[in-house]
Amino acid sequence: MRAMGGTRFGATMRKLVLAAFISFHVAGSALPADVFILPEFQRPTPFNGVVAADATPDFPGHRDTKTPYRAATARNAFVSFHLVVDLPAGGDFEVSVKITDATRELEVDLFREWFHLTESNRNYYPDALVPVSMPYKARLPDPDNRIEKQTSSAFWVDVWVPKEATPGVYRGVALLRTGHKRTTVPFEISVVEATVPEKDVVTIDHNSYGSSWLADYYGGIEVPSEQSFRVTHLYHRLFYEHRGVFHQLGYGHGGKVIAEFAPEIEGSGRTRRIKNWGLYDRHYGPLLDGSAFAGSRRGPRPIPFVYLPINPEWPASFLWWGEPGYETEFVNVVSQMEQHFRQKGWTQTRFEMFFNHKKRYKAFPWDGDETRFPEDDNYFREYRGLLRKALPPETPVKFVFRNDSSWAMERQFESLAGVVDFWVCGGSVFAWYPQAPRLLKGRGDIVWLYGGAPDVTKVSTAITENPLRVWLYGVDGWVHWQTTNPGEDPWFAFNGGAEVLAYPGERFGIRGPIPSVRLKLQRNCVQDLALLDSFKARVSIETLKAAAARQYNNSEPEAWWTPRPPLADQPPYDWTNATIDDAVTAAGQQKFNSSSWDNVRRYILQLAREEK
Amino acid sequence: MRKRLVLTVLVGLCGSVLLPIPIQAEDQAKKESEGVVRDLNEIARVASVMLDGDVCRRIMTERAIGYLSKIDPRDPWVASDNFDVYHEAYIETKKTLIRLSRLVPYACDVNLWMPVPGDSGKIQVLIRNVNEWSQFWTWGALTQETPTVMKQVLQAGRSEIVRQKPGMISVLAPVFDSLGDTVGLVEVVAFEPNAAPPQVHAHRVGGPISVAPPALE
Repeated sequence: MRAMGGTRFGATMRKLVLAAFISFHVAGSALPADVFILPEFQRPTPFNGVVAADATPDFPGHRDTKTPYRAATARNAFVSFHLVVDLPAGGDFEVSVKITDATRELEVDLFREWFHLTESNRNYYPDALVPVSMPYKARLPDPDNRIEKQTSSAFWVDVWVPKEATPGVYRGVALLRTGHKRTTVPFEISVVEATVPEKDVVTIDHNSYGSSWLADYYGGIEVPSEQSFRVTHLYHRLFYEHRGVFHQLGYGHGGKVIAEFAPEIEGSGRTRRIKNWGLYDRHYGPLLDGSAFAGSRRGPRPIPFVYLPINPEWPASFLWWGEPGYETEFVNVVSQMEQHFRQKGWTQTRFEMFFNHKKRYKAFPWDGDETRFPEDDNYFREYRGLLRKALPPETPVKFVFRNDSSWAMERQFESLAGVVDFWVCGGSVFAWYPQAPRLLKGRGDIVWLYGGAPDVTKVSTAITENPLRVWLYGVDGWVHWQTTNPGEDPWFAFNGGAEVLAYPGERFGIRGPIPSVRLKLQRNCVQDLALLDSFKARVSIETLKAAAARQYNNSEPEAWWTPRPPLADQPPYDWTNATIDDAVTAAGQQKFNSSSWDNVRRYILQLAREEK
Repeated sequence: MRKRLVLTVLVGLCGSVLLPIPIQAEDQAKKESEGVVRDLNEIARVASVMLDGDVCRRIMTERAIGYLSKIDPRDPWVASDNFDVYHEAYIETKKTLIRLSRLVPYACDVNLWMPVPGDSGKIQVLIRNVNEWSQFWTWGALTQETPTVMKQVLQAGRSEIVRQKPGMISVLAPVFDSLGDTVGLVEVVAFEPNAAPPQVHAHRVGGPISVAPPALE
């Protein structure tokens, strides 16, 4: 490996060299460096380059084997980078990463980056991360990834800095062996005294539907079974370890509950009752008492949210809707559920009554999800009344009424005040209502926004946009509406991954999910936000928000709201997706690039260094 | 010698008892399957009497009917976003369908299918039930081409048995209005006793509206 030696050049010369460097990289030409480090938001290509969407003029790829690559972090946090091995002539190699300090306080995790070939633009993007042990032996071109003329393999490096770590500079080294040749890249992690809070300031939720996909992705395992529960718990664990939450909706649009998502019930009318908790408790017990997370770096903690199986057909049959039997069946069973949860001590989780059905799926006469028509709001009121009757007033079990609202959210904020206390709102429409956070948070409601995950063709920092958005808005969380569906062929004909942030590991011999680059980037952003928010005791929250928005893309927090379009004053049932798109487009767009989050992080670390 | 004799007799006896077992099991399964067909036929017959075709025709709102065949090149969901029903007619009919499905002690769905007003070639499932079973429904489709067998039911006013999907049995039967016209049909559907029904669909079709919030990219 030959060093670029950029550190000794003057500024002008350095820019020229960097410009040449970028053009080489983007074009995929080989440079004579065989191992180097890229910052986390500069995703590598398999051809000694950087993904075009992430390339910036101040591209800071680190190919210098003499001076260390430097990164800084607070404690109780990860610091991450890409390690790239480039061997134009190909061949076997071995790679490892070590922290060389004797303290052994920091820990290193290494992941092999899978390069996905996208169908949309026929480019390669690294995303799925396969955990590997060190030293890791591999070959270029990678016979598994099957990329013609591949010269580079990439590895994601996570360095875990526990909260007990002593502040200071930790040294490490990435080591590459090719035949008899040994190349090292030094790095330094500067650990500041500040500690990232355990509790997140924004909740990032990863949604999914049902459980039959577990059999599809994991060699036909029986669902439900101990095996499927184990894999399910691993999904929860993966998202938890990435400072996120995982949801699985457990019933169909016709109201049939999937066995492991609900207690078994029997009887009808007065005799309806819970017969058996067996599957439910095997599924949810370890999640609701936190034991599923034992041994994780964040420690065992109950999941904060979970869908209930309640829907118009469960626990009361829709046959009795509007009759005394409906209330009796509902109240009997939900009361038993409350008792069970209380007896088990499952009092830290919010149990969500949530309706996912829509009229268009032809099973019920009202929209529970993304309601459009005003008369449908009456059903929400009915269910709130039923829930009140089912629960003791002083129950320590947290039941919430969740409503995923889009078209009609502005109307429902008013019409369902005191009925719904957990709002999950479509991000694009919510942006028209800057008064909403104060209104909803002022009465104690939980507010999340939802949308899709950015696909891999987008700039790397796209995954940071919505966590930052919800924090700037002063609401509580963001939901990626689907996060476990990798598409038909994620490995060689990728659809971009807008519906996956955790891939099935089965292909790599792992019976459980594996993370993605986007999930790691999101985690690092979320931990940064938790730290940033913790400074509000000494810096006003308005100042913090203004600075973060400015650092991110030179914007003001107000610019993250969209001016109310004329469409908003028409009845929502007259809107179409096209008119919404027009309204969003007319509002204009702002820009950000792959440096945006690094700029925010620099600001956060600057504040952290000022902490006493 | 005596032991060997006893053993031979035992083996012979076992053989004579065990050999026909696959045939017996096959017969048994066939018998059970025929039993299901018989049950579903009976429910279909009752459904034809019990369902009120006039009420069924009043389920959809005029506005929703107007949107059913609407095509917006910029909005593939324009018809489904505007799908709407009159609650009273819908609930009355759905309750009847649920009651009909309870005539058997095993899981059964009774779906209501109605021709699309103004489009003789198309039909829609208008009310489905808890198990979400159907031989015909393309999951998520608002309307679809009328299958030949449904055309036969609608034209002849007679029931038909359908076995298209593995293990699934449907009986189609006409729904009449007060004029005696066939205005729709029911699909009474169940699985053979040993079949493994698929898991229900829980996901959305096409994602939520306007997935991307105002992009800052």
